[in-house]
Amino acid sequence: MKRLFEGGMRNKQLLSWVAVVVIVGALLLPLVISIPLLAQEFEEAALEQAAAEEIVGEEVPVQQIGRDVHYGDEGIVQGPPAPVTSDNENDYPRYNFESRVIIWVATQQHLYYGSFVLAVPIFVMIIEFIGMVTKDRSMAKKYDTLAYDFIKISIVAYSITAILGGVLVFTFMILYPTFWTYMTKIFHPAMHVYVLLFLAESGTLYIYYYGWEAMKEGLLKWVHLTMAVFLNVFGTVLMMLANSWATFMMSPAGVDAEGQYLGNVWLAVHNHLWNPVNIHRLLGNMVFGGGIVAAYAAYRFLSAKNDEERAHYDWMGYVAMFIAVAFLIPLPFAGYYLMREVYAYRQQMGITLMGGLLAWLFIIQAVLIGALFLTTNYYLWQGMERMRGAERYQKYIKYMTFVLIVCFLVWLTPHTMVMTPTELKEMGGQQHPVVGNYGVMSAKNGAVNIIITTTILSFLLYQRCNKIPTVSWARYGNIALWMLFGGAFVNIIWLAIYGYYIPANVRVGLSVPQVVSTLSCLFIGTAINLLMMRGAKPTGPVEWGKISVRSQYAIFMLATSFTWMMGLMGYIRSSVRLHWHVNEVMRDNSPWAFTHTIGFAANMISFNVLFFWVTLLFVFWLGTLGTKKVVVEKVRVVTVPAPATSH
Amino acid sequence: MPGFIDGMMPIQLLAELLLIIAIFILGAMILDKKMGIHIPMLLQAVFVFIAGWWYYKYRIDPPLPFSVRAIYQVMISVGIFMWVSSAEKGWIEFKRPIIAVLDAKTPLTWWVRAVLLVVLPLSASGMTYINLAPSLSEPIELRTVHPAPPAAVKVHGKKFPLQTSESPFRIDENGEYSDHVQDAHVMDNPFDPDGIDYMQNVKEGGEIFFQNCHFCHGDNLNGRGLYAFAFNPIPANFTDPGTLAQLQETFVFWRVAKGGPGLPREGFPWASAMPPWEQHLTTEEIWKVILFEYWHTKYPPRTWGEE
Repeated sequence: MKRLFEGGMRNKQLLSWVAVVVIVGALLLPLVISIPLLAQEFEEAALEQAAAEEIVGEEVPVQQIGRDVHYGDEGIVQGPPAPVTSDNENDYPRYNFESRVIIWVATQQHLYYGSFVLAVPIFVMIIEFIGMVTKDRSMAKKYDTLAYDFIKISIVAYSITAILGGVLVFTFMILYPTFWTYMTKIFHPAMHVYVLLFLAESGTLYIYYYGWEAMKEGLLKWVHLTMAVFLNVFGTVLMMLANSWATFMMSPAGVDAEGQYLGNVWLAVHNHLWNPVNIHRLLGNMVFGGGIVAAYAAYRFLSAKNDEERAHYDWMGYVAMFIAVAFLIPLPFAGYYLMREVYAYRQQMGITLMGGLLAWLFIIQAVLIGALFLTTNYYLWQGMERMRGAERYQKYIKYMTFVLIVCFLVWLTPHTMVMTPTELKEMGGQQHPVVGNYGVMSAKNGAVNIIITTTILSFLLYQRCNKIPTVSWARYGNIALWMLFGGAFVNIIWLAIYGYYIPANVRVGLSVPQVVSTLSCLFIGTAINLLMMRGAKPTGPVEWGKISVRSQYAIFMLATSFTWMMGLMGYIRSSVRLHWHVNEVMRDNSPWAFTHTIGFAANMISFNVLFFWVTLLFVFWLGTLGTKKVVVEKVRVVTVPAPATSH
Repeated sequence: MPGFIDGMMPIQLLAELLLIIAIFILGAMILDKKMGIHIPMLLQAVFVFIAGWWYYKYRIDPPLPFSVRAIYQVMISVGIFMWVSSAEKGWIEFKRPIIAVLDAKTPLTWWVRAVLLVVLPLSASGMTYINLAPSLSEPIELRTVHPAPPAAVKVHGKKFPLQTSESPFRIDENGEYSDHVQDAHVMDNPFDPDGIDYMQNVKEGGEIFFQNCHFCHGDNLNGRGLYAFAFNPIPANFTDPGTLAQLQETFVFWRVAKGGPGLPREGFPWASAMPPWEQHLTTEEIWKVILFEYWHTKYPPRTWGEE
């Protein structure tokens, strides 16, 4: 019996290790899938097999060999050329309405909901995990409730996502049958995998959600968390598969110049822009998801009937905002990587995006990015009101506002200005000799890095608002922080100026030390700050719920800006193909193969945003139905709760 | 008031703004702490708003287009809002006179409210009238300054892929193509008869430039030639870091060879009087004039490779 017991202990340990390996393995799965090398090995194996068959001398029908438009490898042609469409009812059946607008709305709505339901389980998993490892039982319970609150919102959204997915597929089949047939001929195996994964994800999600209560203790809780891991792995792979279809349309691979499929779906999936889009979307989804949940919390905060509810939803909004901002900080760098790859793929495409036809939309994007960071800072400053002792730091707000606004002005100064011909003559040229210099990348990189660094500074000040450090080296810690931020500001500004005096390709490289300065402030600054705050003397508790309503409107603004920006950038990414369904392979010959005016596009994006938010309000309202009156403990939080992602 | 110093303008502007704000904050602090005069928040906000407007309207020369000033002014307003409402105490102080006017409990506030109730709708209608009244000025035109280039361009029967083509005259002492040859010889005298081939080609390019291009692009290559102001917009300023310096040499080759008529459809309508120079110059002459333009402005052409 004793041996069995000891064996049981060992088995338990073994089981834990197996569980850890399974979880880590599952988390790595999307990474493994994204390695392009594997794709090429498949291709080589297929060719070797074909060669071997020829050597054996069996009667093999004559096989046509095609050259991959992207990888340049040879492959056996296994599909018809890309269809040459024409403006008729067969290729483009239509209602008395612009088909492209219909597909635009369907795609955008599906993407909004899809992003939301992919992102929320990721941070539900993180919060559940934090709850499980938190020793303070009341905090652990709070985290667990929070995670449950989050997943509850996404469960209705999940059904809507599925419905919108159906709408999208039917819209493609009905309005663009020839194009859709071509795509399915290439991607049908991946599409089947997609459907199966969707089934697996749905099953996991429902067990995960409905099993929350039943699996709240002991080993079952770990099983529950493992389900969250699998839920996210399924979701991420699903997203990656769907991304591959969109990026195939931008940068096709796995087909020859005629668009003939070369038999390896793996190569078509691994097209040039697939991974950059994967990374960008994953981060973007997290920001978006965080923003939506924060908006939900703000909605509940504003409609709260008592202080307890207000405190709970204030805290929920804070955590969701924190997640959104944590992922917002690396997002511009992922965007930079994506754009770099676009340029590397086709210079023409890059210039159309950032210098040419679509450049004005990038100005709007710049405004929105700036607005996001301004709003984030504003929310943090408002949050200081929750804490006694914050007055020490509130006096710095005016200086930070100045820095942010000046950088924002540089950030959004257009290189080419909108002006009347009279103004143009007065100015003596398209570029203004003074502020025109802010229109180039060197100034903008400097400005955006200063904006991000100032946001980090706001966060650090927020963290220490209600604490007085007691560690013996507090003075040196403060000096170190001053030096860190001062050094970062000097380095970023100096490199921004230096960038004007060196060739463009070297200048691009300057963004690396600038980003390093910014990230150093984030990681080293946060680490020093946290260490300094260990055992700090509190000046008062964080009084959750004692925050201005302005802060909640700031959250709404943030969430709406995310939504608008997502619509905008999605439109830009899609319309850069110009008159191609599949870039340089299948031409769009529908009557709508032109690029819309900026005004029309902006109205469409606004319509999509409005439509999404109206339906989302319905989802929020559903979230309040059937809610048991949650007994929220009076919050007595001394430390500022921050998810593990902060350090 | 001294003007902007050439070469330092962007930094000077930021430094001046910093100075204005520093004086403002310091002044308010001295008044408050040392002299006991507290300037109401609303008044401070109005001051910052007007100071910003004044600076961008009158300090910057040449004048900024309205669209840019409007953006700046909106941003200044946003900044003011963020500042006054960042803490509850300041926000209450800021709102107090506004609420007092709306409540109109004293004769003064009653009169202020009455005047505002007349002035505000009148201003709104006045602005509406100004915006809607027919004007003789030309409408605003959104121009795409950087056209997307084609993948390849055919000049005098030869195809040049823009991504990979190189100038045949950007060559070092060994006759090899070099991205660095310009840096090494940027201070050389083009009229030196013993100069290397690269400098001879720069000189020939210069001759072509002054025979054909400088009438519009100017003898300093700054887009202010004899005929420049007959065009709207005026010709490209090569000394601006946003023109030649941003472009691959092949891009410039395409633009020179094909001129205004060769611009792509996507950015239509184009406003360019540039002739297609392939009809007047040989391929070699086009490459040489480009060589000269880069040499003269000291900007190296954009490359995509690692340095």
